[in-house]
Amino acid sequence: MSEQETIGELLVKRGISRRALLKYAGYLASVMALPPTSSTAMAQALANARRQSVIWLSFQECTGCTESLTRSFSPTIEDMIFDLISLDYHETLQAVSGYAAEEARMQAMKENKGKYVVVVDGSVSTKDGGVYSANAGKTNLETLQETAKDALALISVGTCAAFGGIPHAKPNPTGAVPVSDIITDKPIINIPGCPPIAEAIAGTVAYLVTFGKIPELDHLGRPKAFFGDTIHDRCYRRPFYDKGLFAKSFDDEGARNGWCLYEVGCKGPVTYNACATLKWNGGVSFPIQSGHGCLGCSEPDFWDRGGFYKPLSSWTGGNAAIIGGAAAAGAVVGAASALLARRRKASASGEKGS
Amino acid sequence: MSLLDFARGPALEYAFAIFLFGILWRIASLFLLPRAKDRSVPRPGAPAAAVSAARGFVRHMWLRPPYGQSTVFALVNGYIFHVGLAIIVFGFGPHILFINGLTGLSWPNLPSGVISVVSVVTLAALAAALVRRLTSPVLRLLSGFNDYMSWLVTTAPVLTGLLAVSHLGAKYETLLAVHILSIAVFLIWFPFGKLFHAFLVFVTRSQTGAFYGRRGVQI
Amino acid sequence: MTADGATPTLYDISTGMAMSLMQEIAERLGILAEGGEPHAIDLLGIPMSKRDRDELEAMLGRGEVEVTLDVAGASRLWETQYSGVWWIRHFGEGERVASERIEIVPVPEILSAHRLDMAAAARRLSDELAQANEPIPQEESAHV
Repeated sequence: MSEQETIGELLVKRGISRRALLKYAGYLASVMALPPTSSTAMAQALANARRQSVIWLSFQECTGCTESLTRSFSPTIEDMIFDLISLDYHETLQAVSGYAAEEARMQAMKENKGKYVVVVDGSVSTKDGGVYSANAGKTNLETLQETAKDALALISVGTCAAFGGIPHAKPNPTGAVPVSDIITDKPIINIPGCPPIAEAIAGTVAYLVTFGKIPELDHLGRPKAFFGDTIHDRCYRRPFYDKGLFAKSFDDEGARNGWCLYEVGCKGPVTYNACATLKWNGGVSFPIQSGHGCLGCSEPDFWDRGGFYKPLSSWTGGNAAIIGGAAAAGAVVGAASALLARRRKASASGEKGS
Repeated sequence: MSLLDFARGPALEYAFAIFLFGILWRIASLFLLPRAKDRSVPRPGAPAAAVSAARGFVRHMWLRPPYGQSTVFALVNGYIFHVGLAIIVFGFGPHILFINGLTGLSWPNLPSGVISVVSVVTLAALAAALVRRLTSPVLRLLSGFNDYMSWLVTTAPVLTGLLAVSHLGAKYETLLAVHILSIAVFLIWFPFGKLFHAFLVFVTRSQTGAFYGRRGVQI
Repeated sequence: MTADGATPTLYDISTGMAMSLMQEIAERLGILAEGGEPHAIDLLGIPMSKRDRDELEAMLGRGEVEVTLDVAGASRLWETQYSGVWWIRHFGEGERVASERIEIVPVPEILSAHRLDMAAAARRLSDELAQANEPIPQEESAHV
């Protein structure tokens, strides 16, 4: 189903004017923090580009990432992303099933060899040969290796695909790993979040289509346009942090006044994401605005970082055996050394007496 | 595991374990030592040992006149950074949270701005203390690794803490991790180096007070 | 709860951002008037409170032109009281502002029809005219 015609030609055929594309490019420039004057050139580039073939693989996941991307209603600027891509395979969204579905994937891989983009949501099970997650008679591990072989690039959508996420959390019974642990010879863009912000997914794909290259990434492979700042840096409650005004519990006066949630465990200062600026559900709100601290869901191992409600400045240990054992050992060693001294003294005075 | 996760978790846990081990080892070995009975005859009218100890402690808190003004700077400077450190450790919100996590105790915090000012002053006083140690010929002769190490592990948390709060020099998670690691180093060094004076100062000064109260001349 | 209702104190703060944006607009408008390049300012990328935004809108005021677009959702454009300074607001899903910018340009590009769109429209129009000029089939005319 891949299109040989350009996006511009396709839009003309559908009766969608260039204004729509220009508007979309402006929107894209805005969410990706590109210079606003670049939107004309972007619209031109988009019009001349061919629709990007996308194969979407769903592994150990909850479908929340797909939900995040598709929760918008026509006709809006946000869902123009679906005019830019040719979604050739997506288990949850495609109408066909079974053999025909797998055939669609094979066909897209053949027709767009070396040019298609693989989007993965969900982590990859590796334990016992990856048997804990499989479909169409193949383990996710096999499907990923087979599909990624001739891909242009991979996009790991969601924290599970990007960092292992919840399946990877202790004790990780299925040996879940991120995509980047399996595929090492292809460019991989991570768009973590649980789920990721729809604009971040669509924006990254659109960037890829528009500029034909991978956007600038941070050290964890995340596009800097969306993951360049911490939640804390862009948080509207930041002035309260600076003033030292904190909510101490979820129903005290501070919480009602909208003070900083650092003390009730907000991970905003160490979490890179765009929630504070792009927000959620069509810009309605984001967790901190709704009164709950940031969980840090776009960071690796967010599930195992010592508790969502534990403040960042508190320690995450608390092994009583280690602490108590050390204290007891110290007391015993101290007492023993004193006892030795006493014995030496006693024997010394004994010798003197004789 | 990220640096911050390591700092907040295992680093602090083991540092604290070593801290407790060291403290209890040194205190137990010191207090359980056999003590020689003072067989000297107390001077006439000598107060009880406890009274002399308390007096001695209080008297040592300020300069005796014979020393003149020569050490006023060191004394005042010392007070500044000791009081400063106490304000930072016990007055800053996130620190109270840290202590709360360990002990369950909690109290109201000071505004962050106040802590920042106190931190800068404390840092300046610590720097002055080092400069004095390096420039005074006598002090330099008396100083060894232990002194410089103790200075370093005390200063590092103040500096890294200030940087973390003001987001200067690196990403916050890195700064916070480095700050917590500097605390871990402080905790590990504390029982074994000269920082242990925080416990022993009460013992040594009281002992000296009691000793002078029993013998010596009346002052 | 609305975004504004959640934290009335912060959303009400005026940070002076409107005034500094006015300075930038004035400078750029001067450049454009002397034959320089057009300019655009993305308002969503700038940390502004609602109060700041309202202040800026009030300072710029309304001019002679106001346009409503209906393409991939609604858009509203107006020229401010300063010629060549346009306020462009695109709405996304559920009436929210998806993109908002100030353009300093004679006419915002989005208003002009694109060559390809015009070509397609010309084809469509001539097709329709050709259809209208075709002789009316006999059996249909009988019913009229």
